[in-house]
Amino acid sequence: MSFFEYKDIIEEGDLVLAFLGRSNIKPITVTKGSQLNTRYGNFEHDRMIGMKYGEQMPGAKGVGFIHLLYPTPELWTVSLPHRTQIVYTPDSSYIIQRLNVTSGTRVIEAGTGSGSFSHSFARTIGVEGRLFTYEFHEPRYIEAKKELEDHGLLANTVITHRDVCNDGFEISNIPEDFKKDDGICGDVVFLDLPSPWTAIPNLKSVISHQSRVGICCFSPCIEQVEKTVKALETEGWSNIEMVEVAGKRWEARKDMVKDVKDVVKRLKDIQSRKNQGIEHRKQSKIHNVGDKRDIKEVETADDSSPEPTKFQNLGKGFNPFGKGLRVREGDEQFQWRNVTKIESEIKSHTSYLTFAYMNPNVRLNTSVE
Amino acid sequence: MASVIEDKMNLDREPEVDSLPQREKSTTIISPNQHALIRLPSEGLKIIDLKPGGIISLGKFGTFAVDGILGYPFGQTFEILEELKVKPIKSMTMQADETSVDNENEELTKDDLTKMLSNSSDNNQNIINIGSKIQKLTSEDVDKLKESGATSDIGQRIIEQMIAGHEGFDKKTLFSQQKYLKRKQQKFLRRFTVEYLGSSQLLQYYIEKDTQRVLDMSEETLGLLLNYANVRPGGKYLLIDETGGIILYAMMERMNGQGTIVSAHDNEHPNHIALRYSDYPEEMQNRMVKSINWLQFLEPENEKVEFETATEEEIEEMKHAKRAQYYRREQRAKNINSVIDMVMEGNFDGFISVSTLNMPTLLPEIIPTIGGSRPVVIYSQFKEALLETQHHMSTDKRVLAPSIMETRVRPHQTIPGRMHPVMCMRGFGGYILWGTRVFPRESGITAVGKGSGKSKKEKPEQIPEAVSQQASV
Repeated sequence: MSFFEYKDIIEEGDLVLAFLGRSNIKPITVTKGSQLNTRYGNFEHDRMIGMKYGEQMPGAKGVGFIHLLYPTPELWTVSLPHRTQIVYTPDSSYIIQRLNVTSGTRVIEAGTGSGSFSHSFARTIGVEGRLFTYEFHEPRYIEAKKELEDHGLLANTVITHRDVCNDGFEISNIPEDFKKDDGICGDVVFLDLPSPWTAIPNLKSVISHQSRVGICCFSPCIEQVEKTVKALETEGWSNIEMVEVAGKRWEARKDMVKDVKDVVKRLKDIQSRKNQGIEHRKQSKIHNVGDKRDIKEVETADDSSPEPTKFQNLGKGFNPFGKGLRVREGDEQFQWRNVTKIESEIKSHTSYLTFAYMNPNVRLNTSVE
Repeated sequence: MASVIEDKMNLDREPEVDSLPQREKSTTIISPNQHALIRLPSEGLKIIDLKPGGIISLGKFGTFAVDGILGYPFGQTFEILEELKVKPIKSMTMQADETSVDNENEELTKDDLTKMLSNSSDNNQNIINIGSKIQKLTSEDVDKLKESGATSDIGQRIIEQMIAGHEGFDKKTLFSQQKYLKRKQQKFLRRFTVEYLGSSQLLQYYIEKDTQRVLDMSEETLGLLLNYANVRPGGKYLLIDETGGIILYAMMERMNGQGTIVSAHDNEHPNHIALRYSDYPEEMQNRMVKSINWLQFLEPENEKVEFETATEEEIEEMKHAKRAQYYRREQRAKNINSVIDMVMEGNFDGFISVSTLNMPTLLPEIIPTIGGSRPVVIYSQFKEALLETQHHMSTDKRVLAPSIMETRVRPHQTIPGRMHPVMCMRGFGGYILWGTRVFPRESGITAVGKGSGKSKKEKPEQIPEAVSQQASV
């Protein structure tokens, strides 16, 4: 299992994302003798070994099922154990795109938090890129470090336990193959900190002085943005712009097509049955005088109960829209149109994203003149 | 242009390069013989070719020599001086006092500027709209000033005189004065920024030039598409790109020369016109991008090219032109057959579609070629088109949890004390349908929540999504 490439068959020790539902994905490490127990059945790890990624797996005794998925940063973001508020995909993907993070980019991230964005950065920069991530909360740092290690991401990532606001970003133990110009030399900075303005002055020594450096500060409050913008201006960052990202999910649904002609037809039907019922009663009253009713008449009379609501509920008569019945959306007996409906709860505000750039403003290569 | 790439591909008889593939262009320094994006004060965009010795004209913003900007890092802003010369400045929006990086040629000092803006009103109570009459400087005056020199100082002088000639200027508030100044700067200052032509820049350029070309796609949607598709170095992707190669370029940027993109197209030859700005060596383009048309894709057995290999002697005997033709045909056959083989082999690491084709009829042909647990990401400018596709997927069951995603970025005026969302933004940006390729079981699966009344009693509304997912299979 690796976040850098796919594979097809599940092996022991792999990280597998058990998909139970859109917002219910359970990360499991395939271990012989273990079992995943869910509301949707029980799933033995032994049976997963040798199965294909993407396969639908039936539960023990054929009860329930899950899908076995290969981890990607985007699916991991849905399934990961939350330690902090996380950066969701609409935000993280935009930051990556706007700051032109690609294979080989050197990224500085503080703090690591739940490591959701770290996964996304590490994947996009690939094994040629470098991610320097910082977390000041020790238990979170320990958990994140273990997770990055388990996921094979230490191939391009260095995680440091550090309060970057007070103690800066410089680290002494950079592995040789992680160094550039004898240091961190970051191309892109992402700050998800309570007070980014205190960390901004510490960036000078760890960012590239040979190229333009992009920064994104991620803060939920506008007051934080104010202070951040001032700090960026003071430190010589330019092209400062704050934006918000709004991500939404739409559901494909079906909405019944209800034609007013059918409504009228149904009303007529009700009316005629009502009249029929009245007729019947009149008839039977006449007949009743001394007479015994014909057995056939009794049955018909029962059928056309004069209460309109009653025969509706029984599904009798003309009922074009299934009134009073439990109709499954998309039931082929009815006519439907395809519609979209927005998810019931949307993220109306994740954070403000403040972008800026630092230019060296010097001619670096004079030989080209 | 598209066919030019193919022709070049056919002529290319070089053996495959073994060394580690690299982007040969610079992504950090303004370097000769590559393309770059120019941002103008008017927020207009331009793509230029950095030919050494070349002269670039930016219309009313002036003209400069390419050699003067080479060697600076991408992102640098310049001001045009006289005789095609430029000087680096800190940023486009900086006031004149702060512009000069090397602190020379400063004609307008900070004091002047403060003086210029010193008389301002607390509010707009005294402003009476009399239209253009309030400006005493005529357009003839401005033209005369323009003719008097080609430097940015002229722009500065025009602005000064416009302020002087503006009878109501001191009645404006300071905020309003700054806005006025910025508007005039956008019009008269001869400044420009040179940026690396990344995928965002290329997209922005096309959005401005011809938004239909990119099917209304926004930068944020492109980012979401590439992340959901899990695009990374070394992958093997199946792509439909009807934007003329902008998506292809974005993928190549993220893959950094490693991996393969099979690009399926409608016409006989692919349209990858945007790749002409990519500056990727031909060898790399040929190695990474494999084109296939839908006829070849859907009828691979019929479309394979049969090619009779000639013997060494036969080739020796051929006349020059005939031999060249022979090689071309051989290469063409190899290219077509190898891409057909790749499609038949399948197991792609993802399917990315930015197209106007009808997906419900195309997907049954595509899905079997996608590897297990790999992403399927379909873009459309219309939510309704994705709606049909999502319904199709829900019935088909080979794409798990398809969702239509929308993302919109809202920019703000970013001035401390005066933060607010800007009044207007682009309305469109497109939608993305994202799902994961899975292998459903034909039988032997009983969904919990269907038939077994037990689970219904156990609060099924807790995770309705999951229940419906289970129940729907």
